[in-house]
Amino acid sequence: MPTLDRRTSLSIFQRMLMIRHFEEAVIALYKQGRFASHYHLYIGQEATGSAVLETLSEKDLICTTHRNHGHIIGRGCDPNRAMAEILGRASGFNGGRSGTLHICDHSHGFLSTSAVVGGCAGLATGAGFGLKVRREPHVAVGFFGDGALEEGLVSESFNIAALWKLPVVYVCENNSAGAMGPQQGGYPTAITATDSFVRLPAAYGIHCLKVDGTDIAAVYAAASAAGQRCRGGDGPVFIEAFTTRWPGSSPLWPELATVTDLNDAWDPARISGPHADWSRHHDPVLRVARELVAGGHASRDELMARDNEARMRIAAAANFAIDSPMPAPASVGDHVFA
Amino acid sequence: MSTSMQAASASSVQSLPAAEEALRLLRGMQLIRSFEEQVRNLSSGGVIPGLVHLCAGQEAVAVGVCSLLRADDMIASNHRGHGHCLAKGADVTRLAAEVLGRRTGYGLGRGGSLHMFDAANGNLGTTGIVGGGIPLAAGAALSAKRRGRGQVAVSFFGDGALNQGLLFEVLNMASIWRLPVLFVCENNGFGEFTAIEDVTAGPDPLARGLTFGIASETVDGMDVLAVRAAAQRALARARERGGPSFLVCNTYRFGGHHVGDKQDYKDDADAKAWRLKDPIERFGGWLQHCGMANASVIAALKTEVDEAVRAAIELAKAAPLPAADDLELHLHA
Amino acid sequence: MPSPRTATYRAAVLEALFGEMQRDESVIVMGEDIGAAGGVFKQTEGLFAQFGAERVIDTPISEAGAFGIAVGAAMTGQRPVFEVMFGDFITLVMDQLVNQAAKISYMSAGQFHVPLVLRTAVGIGGNLGPQHSQSLHAWAVHIPGLKVVMPSTPADAKGLMAAAIRDDGPVIFFEDRMLYNMRDAVPEGDYVVPIGSADIKRTGRDLTMIATGRMAHVALAAAELLAKDDISAEVIDPRSLVPLDLDTLVASVKRTSRAIVADGGYRQYGVTGEIAAIVTEHAFDWLDAPVLRVGAADVPIPFSKSLEPLVLPDARRLAREAAALVRGFR
Repeated sequence: MPTLDRRTSLSIFQRMLMIRHFEEAVIALYKQGRFASHYHLYIGQEATGSAVLETLSEKDLICTTHRNHGHIIGRGCDPNRAMAEILGRASGFNGGRSGTLHICDHSHGFLSTSAVVGGCAGLATGAGFGLKVRREPHVAVGFFGDGALEEGLVSESFNIAALWKLPVVYVCENNSAGAMGPQQGGYPTAITATDSFVRLPAAYGIHCLKVDGTDIAAVYAAASAAGQRCRGGDGPVFIEAFTTRWPGSSPLWPELATVTDLNDAWDPARISGPHADWSRHHDPVLRVARELVAGGHASRDELMARDNEARMRIAAAANFAIDSPMPAPASVGDHVFA
Repeated sequence: MSTSMQAASASSVQSLPAAEEALRLLRGMQLIRSFEEQVRNLSSGGVIPGLVHLCAGQEAVAVGVCSLLRADDMIASNHRGHGHCLAKGADVTRLAAEVLGRRTGYGLGRGGSLHMFDAANGNLGTTGIVGGGIPLAAGAALSAKRRGRGQVAVSFFGDGALNQGLLFEVLNMASIWRLPVLFVCENNGFGEFTAIEDVTAGPDPLARGLTFGIASETVDGMDVLAVRAAAQRALARARERGGPSFLVCNTYRFGGHHVGDKQDYKDDADAKAWRLKDPIERFGGWLQHCGMANASVIAALKTEVDEAVRAAIELAKAAPLPAADDLELHLHA
Repeated sequence: MPSPRTATYRAAVLEALFGEMQRDESVIVMGEDIGAAGGVFKQTEGLFAQFGAERVIDTPISEAGAFGIAVGAAMTGQRPVFEVMFGDFITLVMDQLVNQAAKISYMSAGQFHVPLVLRTAVGIGGNLGPQHSQSLHAWAVHIPGLKVVMPSTPADAKGLMAAAIRDDGPVIFFEDRMLYNMRDAVPEGDYVVPIGSADIKRTGRDLTMIATGRMAHVALAAAELLAKDDISAEVIDPRSLVPLDLDTLVASVKRTSRAIVADGGYRQYGVTGEIAAIVTEHAFDWLDAPVLRVGAADVPIPFSKSLEPLVLPDARRLAREAAALVRGFR
């Protein structure tokens, strides 16, 4: 059973807190009418992204999808600029042009963020190719969901990455567990004949790992091993991380189904409401908080202090975004060409 | 007789063809071989517009599968499709005419070798887009399933198509929707000029089908009986339970990717070894061994087929070319 | 006198679908989340409950493969209505659309037809950003063998969907998602608008505004502004891009001597170029000025609220251009 030291655990938890508060702030801003658009939240998946990101160096490259906030904030990108981008402001990472769907921060190793399902796999594979050609001892990480595996492009990417032994870590965040299937009249999150997603990359001989996506030690161990394998020139790795879908995530517009209160971590009896089960058993933030205290890595007070700090930092980011100017009309044609 | 033939007949003992059927199998393969040889000569002689992609050496796959199909079953072919078309009952003259670009051909002479359709025989067409026919066959299977008359569809493609994302998407859907479709990969070891090992990752091409829970088999594609037996299993599966199958038939093309290809990428020893497995020679040998035919019957069959193909081609050559008025026909329904 | 029955654009298309699916067993619907979920825009709501999983098929996120399957099904007796969720994603079906569907009738010399409809939601609005706002119909109209329609009203949407389904070849149906809630008179029951027929939405004397899809409404609004300025604008919605009702367009231009073409796709090499050129070829001697073209700015469609509205010309801008055309060519 892998365990993490205090420093690593707290670092991961810090990322998770920032992501969680960021996402809750995003819903609030949407409800206030501060931005329009379809948007997708990372609530429930924070442990996966955070633990993977913890293993990466500055020079590693990252591709993500329409569900990118967690990766952006988890990576340590400026929440001010991320929030500004969601609000379509000029100070956003993409100058207000991409909004929630395509946020990326080049200075932190993000390539272009595709909202076309599967697109990230191609880009991550290409990033890996570039790293190999330049003989850099780094990896390219592609984050995507289970739905992406249905796109043929992903299969083609696997084939090439395996053939050319590219240093790519494909992280498939399978949040289908618990989601409504087509039989129940809900939006299907995966229509696939395979009984196990890893069969797909395994068909190409890609090394595969499966982890509980809410277990930071397990995710950290898997991602570390994957990175090592890639840097050793042994080719790509596929990690399937399982999480149970947050009840507030409907495909079109999220609802604030649960509100995070760290006190629920050590006092689960406080949890009530229609989604109590999710909060008690599947909320990774509460889980990790509980484990940190139980493992003696931190006290409740310390974690509450961190929580508060994160809230305030995010509140500041929201204010920054709200106060930021819109992009000037004259800038609409900027960067169309190089 | 080779051991693999013995093995094949042992494993498919309940479904061995009787003499008449066996001779039909031989004739079917010989028809393709004669056609391809004569088309090769025409192409080298500059008579055929564009490029042709010949399947000499691979006849056992087309014949082994198509010999079991009903008239109302459907096939979708690829760029190396003459064999599939003939095995599915195409008229030799019309096929030759299309290859030659004559108006009496299956496509008014406007499609050529790469775009030949034969609706009366359920042939959804050859195509130059690698993998392009795969979803068409699956779609035909969807139709077949709706109609409920037990029809099946067969998709023929090469090892090059194994790396098309489209294949994955369709295998997945064929499995979820339990479509009555056979995916037949003619693995001849080369995607154009590139060896399969250089472009196809993974322990075994079969994994591509197994990933989606599809019944998958590797077959000796130079043994018409082995192909036939595998096809029989797959067709039973499709007709009775309505599910797909994935067959990887290991075979070899004696010619190049297209006529004119110098084939520098082939290993000579390898090529020689495959020649020894010539499906027509082997099957002829087996027929003689079983007493279903003797050498002179087999030779006479070859002569007769060569002559029939020659005559068909002469007829095709005599047909007119399409005219300017034919340019826009059938653009819309 | 009772007012005519109205319906939304979304509901009108659904009416056509219900009607055709009842009329013809071979009509099936395929797409992502279009089954029990009723579609991301609720554009297929109720079909699954009525016709079931055999005829209303949810596909995986495998546009290329699924559309290819639709083509194969169409070749062999089905009449699929295949939905590509956002118009931007027709990029994913391009090979099966261009190299198969469009050409099968021609290549097979009529042995096979591909009676399918590809419907897709296009249009700028709601800040969906660069990969969810494009209208790529300029690509579709360029391919021989494809018919392309772009209805701008609920009635046209219903009538053209019915026509598209009944057509024995591939028809691309571009619907603007910002028009889904538009409510207008829609005939009840069986209603077909022939493919290839334009509609004069407003008669006028001084210039002809040829406007597709949503731009037809922008043009009508511009016409109101122009009327206050004593300029009488005729507004024609081609409704079908391929085949184009050239006769109606040319007849109008011959009457007014001036034309402006407005379309919601990127302006560069857009459909406005084709329409302007072909009208000029047929009505050159009647024209008093070059045919002007108006389209979306040639930039990826930006997300931000301050930038997104700049991309498509609004009624004021269109009226300004039209007025300049009439008053003295600049």
